[in-house]
Amino acid sequence: MSENKKWYSLDLGLKRKKASSGGCGCGKSEGDCNSPKEELSAEEFYEAAINASIGDERHRDGFEQVFDVKMDRRSAFKKLTASLLIGAGAVSTSCSLTSSGDAKEKAQIDWEEQFKGNYKLMSDEEKKKTVDRLMRSYELRTGKNISMTAENAEEDVLFGYAFNISKCQGYMDCVTACVEENNQDRNSEMQYIRIHEMKDGEGFKFDKADDNYYHEVPVEGHFYMGTQCFHCDNPPCVDVCPVQATWKEEDGLVVVDYDWCIGCRYCMAACPYDGRRFNWSKPEVPENEVNKNQHYLGNRMRKKGVMEKCTFCVQRSRKGKNPACVEACPTGARIFGNLLDPNSTIRWVLENKKVFRLKEDLGTEPKFWYFMD
Amino acid sequence: MKNKNRIYCTLLLLFAILSSCKNEGEYHSVSDRIAAEEVPYHGTLSSEELLAGRDLIKITEGDHIFLIPERKSQIKSFACIECHSKPLSQMKEPDKTKAHWDITIKHANIETMNCASCHNPQDMNNLRSLTGSKIDFDLSYKLCAQCHNTQFKDWKGGAHGKKISGWTPPRASMTCVECHNPHDPGFSQRWPAQFNTKKAIERKEGLDH
Repeated sequence: MSENKKWYSLDLGLKRKKASSGGCGCGKSEGDCNSPKEELSAEEFYEAAINASIGDERHRDGFEQVFDVKMDRRSAFKKLTASLLIGAGAVSTSCSLTSSGDAKEKAQIDWEEQFKGNYKLMSDEEKKKTVDRLMRSYELRTGKNISMTAENAEEDVLFGYAFNISKCQGYMDCVTACVEENNQDRNSEMQYIRIHEMKDGEGFKFDKADDNYYHEVPVEGHFYMGTQCFHCDNPPCVDVCPVQATWKEEDGLVVVDYDWCIGCRYCMAACPYDGRRFNWSKPEVPENEVNKNQHYLGNRMRKKGVMEKCTFCVQRSRKGKNPACVEACPTGARIFGNLLDPNSTIRWVLENKKVFRLKEDLGTEPKFWYFMD
Repeated sequence: MKNKNRIYCTLLLLFAILSSCKNEGEYHSVSDRIAAEEVPYHGTLSSEELLAGRDLIKITEGDHIFLIPERKSQIKSFACIECHSKPLSQMKEPDKTKAHWDITIKHANIETMNCASCHNPQDMNNLRSLTGSKIDFDLSYKLCAQCHNTQFKDWKGGAHGKKISGWTPPRASMTCVECHNPHDPGFSQRWPAQFNTKKAIERKEGLDH
């Protein structure tokens, strides 16, 4: 086990017990291991248990909690006490003689997932491990295999997007492709993309525009424009997140760690573009419709009470493909590419067309430009 | 009092100096970052895999060099001379069934163009430019570019049309005829692919924002 692991593993006897690094192996870091245990009252025990499990964090501020955690130094006693409080279920399953090996493995995975660190701070090896756990967990739960990756941002890449208002006809093929690609909740009909039907000659009036029309399109005298997450270079949603569960990656993608998000929805309130969505209920996707090519930061299955948003299809874009909406658009209104590459088509658009961004005066620096023919 | 002022001034100066020192890698705007960090992409990702198995032709138009799909094998009735074995005037017979009955021209008006604006009755296997030069079916975009030159300019640059490849090099773009039927190039009205019933309910109940 690596020294700088940021979660701790509950030894459930699946692997042979390794000799602990120091001391006699009883796990106690202080005192003689043969010394008799003191009797504790219920209240004292509760206090001691909390101290044992989150003791360090109690005396630290948020920054230190995230950046200065020395989980690996905790003694086995601490782990066990913490497990009683937080992982009671996991422990009872894992200690039960009657439960199967699968259940034990599931409990082990749940445990390790519960105590893994923030994705931003993980090493590549840790990223691989969490991805492997998530894949195995899915297999144990559904009997189906998924492929999940955790590719990091490529060097010399900054993703950008351009949307041609003159070309969009409002067919909404992009919306369908997006929902299918990104495993969005079918129950609440969550959609990242909104296509606004706007009246010609009235400019952008989002309050008067219709983003849920159902008639043959395009309608005479109207134009269509799409909005989604603009992956701002100065994203206000990232600034307000109290737990750093959302951040901007090196390639410009603004992403969410669904396992770190606490669901406070500050980011949703901070976004001036309605780019973020919240899971009010457990997201459900029929098994045969699940897109099994997943990325940790992208379209892997979310849970209830976490935020999600467009990631420019990180599972596709970090493999060199275009996002699903770009591929699905029948009119070629959507252009995606590498802003740092002077030979890319997106750069040609930015340099040769008259481009603008929404609410530019806010200083959010969206990497999503609009243009016209 | 004087001392206090001095301290104020020093602090102000210090603040100004500190705030003007930008951290490395931080830019005022995204265009500053692009200007500072731009470099042609030669990374590990490429569109080769996406393009594997496709028949592509490399074209050079102005400064732009990119791939387009081969067309002739996609045209069902190519080669045309399999039927057009003699000049068109000899094939026209009033009592025979009309060939190409499924093609109606909805492209400009008859004063501007007819079949012979693009097709050459003497050489059916090739297309013909307005000035009479031969254009291969694979390069039919040249025909469109004669009139639609603004679209052609945008297409070359990448602002018009769709790509076959991803964002990674090599660039492979669809040509005009991949999306537009040359005989009826407009896009028709149709129903949108999506309707959000939940949003409709929310709106009805006044819960929409």
